[in-house]
Amino acid sequence: MNTLTKETKQEVDGKREVTEVKPQVKVYSPNVDVYETENSLLFRVEMPGVDETSVGITIEKDQLLLEGKFQIPTVERGQVRLAEYREGNYLRRFTIGKAVDSDNAIAKIKNGILELTLPKIEPKKTKIEIRNS
Amino acid sequence: MLFRILDPQTKANQFWRDFDRLNDELTRSILDDQFGSSSHFPPVNVYTKEDEALVTCLLPGVDIDQIDINVKDHILSIHGKKKMEELAEGTEVHRREIFNGEFHRRLELPFRVNQDQVSAKYVNGVLNIHLPRREEDKPKKVSISLG
Repeated sequence: MNTLTKETKQEVDGKREVTEVKPQVKVYSPNVDVYETENSLLFRVEMPGVDETSVGITIEKDQLLLEGKFQIPTVERGQVRLAEYREGNYLRRFTIGKAVDSDNAIAKIKNGILELTLPKIEPKKTKIEIRNS
Repeated sequence: MLFRILDPQTKANQFWRDFDRLNDELTRSILDDQFGSSSHFPPVNVYTKEDEALVTCLLPGVDIDQIDINVKDHILSIHGKKKMEELAEGTEVHRREIFNGEFHRRLELPFRVNQDQVSAKYVNGVLNIHLPRREEDKPKKVSISLG
């Protein structure tokens, strides 16, 4: 787990530049199980507090990026007595060694667990005949 | 010339006592690592208002019928079991980080709870437990009249 500080720059009246420092955002590295079957790769990711609208999956070349935003609902909760976790972002990156069909990837999220299935692409088999010269 | 007489038996006993203590500490530390630091799993937040307490607990991927919540006076106990998903035959495991097994948390609240009115909801892997304060323990406002 680590913490990031984000800074944004705003222009005021077209002249002065003001630097606004946003509060620190906690970045969590979620627990992941990775399985492989004959036809696919399966990722199970723990993201409690995340639903289908706040999760992001990106596949670029052999890089898989799993993201999620966890926000504590702004209901009046009263005085904080004990805080073992706070809101933040989930972030996990993987390099996929096998060729996958990202267009047919299936993702679902249930009870705070993201399940991603990536179908494998079978490598093309080309038989080369050897001729006698 | 003085010679200090060492009792070999006493030294040996001391050695084994130290060995047992170290062994015990090591075993506990390994078990804590293996079971996801049992003392802080699942992680909880506790909020209190004048008339109720709210406990939120991160418990992703647990069946609600596997969660047991008990309240007695001002003690809340959350106990349950996280079962591993069954895998199809021939599945290869590349990485396994998600905790599976039994978990237990016991929390002390700052006031006694009305056991009949406790309610719990499980949303997106987060367990929310509302614990209303006992009526007789709620702070009472005393009006002062001019004498």
